[in-house]
Amino acid sequence: MNPRTAKILRASQRALEMWGVLVAFVILFAVSTFNQGFDFLNPENFRAMLNSNAPVGILAVGMTLVIISAGIDLSVGSMVVLAAAIGMTIMNSLIASGTSELNAVLLGGAVTILAGTLAGTFNGVLVVFGRIAPFIATLGGLAAFRSMSLAIADAGEIRSQSATMFSALGRGGVAIPGLVNAAGKPLTISYSTVIFFAVAIVAQWFLSRSRFGRQLVAVGANETAARYAGISVSWVRLRVYAIMGMLAGIAALVQSSRMNSVSTAQLGLGSELDAIAAVVIGGTTLRGGFGRVWGTVVGVLILGMITNILTISGVSPYWQGAVKGAVIVLAVLVQRSSRE
Amino acid sequence: MNREILVVNSVTVDYPGVRALDSVSLAFRTGEIHAIVGENGAGKSTMMKVLSGVIRPTSGSMMLKGTQRQFTRPSDAIRAGISMVHQELHLVGTLNVAENVLLGREPTRFFGVAVDQQQQRIRAGELLQQLGGDFDLSTPASDLSIAQQQFVEIAKCLASDARVLIFDEPTAVLGEVEANRLFAVMRRLRDEGRCVIFISHHLDEVISVADRISVLRDGKLVQAFARNTSGIVQSKDGSVADEGRLAHAMVGHELSSIYPEKFYSTSHYPNSKSAAIELRNFGAKKKSHSISFSVAPGEILGIAGLVGSGRTETAEAIVGIRPCEGVLLVEGREIRFGNPRAAIRAGVAYVSEDRKNRGLHLTLSSIANMMLPSLDKVSRIGGIMIDSQTEQRISQDWIDTFQIRCARPRHAISSLSGGNQQKFSLARWLEARPKVLIIDEPTRGVDVGARGEIYRIIAKLAREGLACIVISSELPEVIGLSHRVIVMREGTIAGEIPCERLARKDCQERIVRIASGLSEESSPRI
Repeated sequence: MNPRTAKILRASQRALEMWGVLVAFVILFAVSTFNQGFDFLNPENFRAMLNSNAPVGILAVGMTLVIISAGIDLSVGSMVVLAAAIGMTIMNSLIASGTSELNAVLLGGAVTILAGTLAGTFNGVLVVFGRIAPFIATLGGLAAFRSMSLAIADAGEIRSQSATMFSALGRGGVAIPGLVNAAGKPLTISYSTVIFFAVAIVAQWFLSRSRFGRQLVAVGANETAARYAGISVSWVRLRVYAIMGMLAGIAALVQSSRMNSVSTAQLGLGSELDAIAAVVIGGTTLRGGFGRVWGTVVGVLILGMITNILTISGVSPYWQGAVKGAVIVLAVLVQRSSRE
Repeated sequence: MNREILVVNSVTVDYPGVRALDSVSLAFRTGEIHAIVGENGAGKSTMMKVLSGVIRPTSGSMMLKGTQRQFTRPSDAIRAGISMVHQELHLVGTLNVAENVLLGREPTRFFGVAVDQQQQRIRAGELLQQLGGDFDLSTPASDLSIAQQQFVEIAKCLASDARVLIFDEPTAVLGEVEANRLFAVMRRLRDEGRCVIFISHHLDEVISVADRISVLRDGKLVQAFARNTSGIVQSKDGSVADEGRLAHAMVGHELSSIYPEKFYSTSHYPNSKSAAIELRNFGAKKKSHSISFSVAPGEILGIAGLVGSGRTETAEAIVGIRPCEGVLLVEGREIRFGNPRAAIRAGVAYVSEDRKNRGLHLTLSSIANMMLPSLDKVSRIGGIMIDSQTEQRISQDWIDTFQIRCARPRHAISSLSGGNQQKFSLARWLEARPKVLIIDEPTRGVDVGARGEIYRIIAKLAREGLACIVISSELPEVIGLSHRVIVMREGTIAGEIPCERLARKDCQERIVRIASGLSEESSPRI
């Protein structure tokens, strides 16, 4: 191989590591369009796809931060169901006791986010003060948080007592001016999608521009060096797990309002793996110290599109996991860094 | 007679944008210690990577025992009998010495299924004995000192029957006594007819150990010296290899005395009232260390001692990385730090000896590294946001002040040379405006040219009133830089060399004697 070719190869390898996730997205988009044409390009299809992936997306944004700190959180799916169950129970009992629907919904929502934050902080305490490896500490949460929510509802479903207000968050949206759908109604972008993108933008900003972001990367890249540089490693760690919990709370709110109920056995089941998959596809390294939220967002969209296109094409849902798995492994192969 | 075992012929290596080696030809002979010297970036490491099969040269050829060879991966080189004794040690901490020595080539029984433990111990014992090492084969590698680990590494190379052994900066992590033991081992290997290739920044070592010295500069071979029949190492035109001549060849211009002039004032014999920092029976917890000294503003205190004498532990205890015992006073007030954050707030900064693992974040940018200890200064909106213009400006100021060669400060700091990295390590702490600066091994992995610059920086800081503590295993450095030197041994101060005695010729020898416990003058143990 002459040096010129080698140079070009190296450069393209590096470019692929950096931008591979976007390339994959474009390819997948083109294939989907070619394959299904209007069914795929239909704005309503996009709306639904974004809407149903927003909760996992919100979790994945938090997971990106946790993984950058060289940690992991396996308990996010269970945190979602626990936060949702607690929040909805509180909301229902407030409504039953005669509080106005608006107040009950607002309070219930606040409790949901608070419950998530507390659960996340608990994880952080285990990791930081208990000195338990994040994988193990949150594995405990994965089992415990779901079990608690099962106990709350006797493994059943909690139905929202709020007739319209609570579900408005999950089902409503912002109208996009000038666009109408086939039925002549204005096209909307759902609130959950707006929340997902807002969370992602704030997180990306924090990661690249804030002091906390800088410290997070430093802790993930080399904990010892961070400590020697006078960074409080414990405080950084604790905060990232608390933020993860808060985002799980937000995801719980979005998800439960979309269903207008909480199925304690089903809600959030397996979300932690989808979230981690999106992070990995997005190019964040699992060993920490490097990552990007925008990549994760693209990763979420890729996973969502795969499910979407397979569903439209009528592929058995049983096969979807296999395709997803293949994409995840492929993403890691492509991005396997020569940075070592 | 020494024959050529490994010959490289006009080898060139191109990295993107840089020619790391430019048509270099070298011959390595059996029964010889061949030293390669050069500044950082001169191409020493690249040459070693070519020899050990880590990289393939862009052009040029290599002959091993008279046949043309090309290595595509490190295992090719090892199989051909070329082994590298790595700077970073690669032992498996949980395995014992014998297991580590024979890792991957264990003697077996039962048709290769079971490891023959007894045979393994015997083989490993023989190999270590060859090296003159005397330690317990059943010790886990994680319990060995760095020097001992290096012995095990060398034994590993012998186990693979290496004929060519490459030592890349082996003494960087060793104290004086350990280094001398290592040289004895290298000579032994040479006398057995092996070829020893030795890379070092320490010119004095090179001159005393090497039979042949090749000097690289900017990727080219600029001068070669060889030992003649009367035992003198000299070049073809007859000039004898001494430190001055080697340094000249490496740098390309004359180095005046590398150590800056010392600045003296009355404050150099501090009493406890004027001291910037004072220790009283201080030490890392559970180490039964007991150290007392004080440093005045403007003074440079040198701390010498062997590796393991407790110098780094003491420094780490001062800034709160390790729990401590005893009394610590900063500017006359008794204080104790729980972590480096508290220490820097009170004006005490510590530059770690281990730049790669503890000092810097190699994957982060120079600016990010630079600002990490003082993010408060560049934070806006209630400490949330980082003002990137301000941090750029502050970093650029330091880049100018210290003449750091750093074209792209937003790129990973790992792309800079050791000297420039070290300047950033200093700058980042100086930006936090400390009153006491503790520098552990200020020039480890730093080339000769940058060394002088770092010494001048330290001297200037002291002149401006900073109290400096310089911990170093390099005696000329401690002696040349400090106003006063204390020698540590086994966690206590074994002796002190006052200012006026540092200029005496026997000073270095005296320190070695005190550090290794040979001197009667060592102060009584407490």
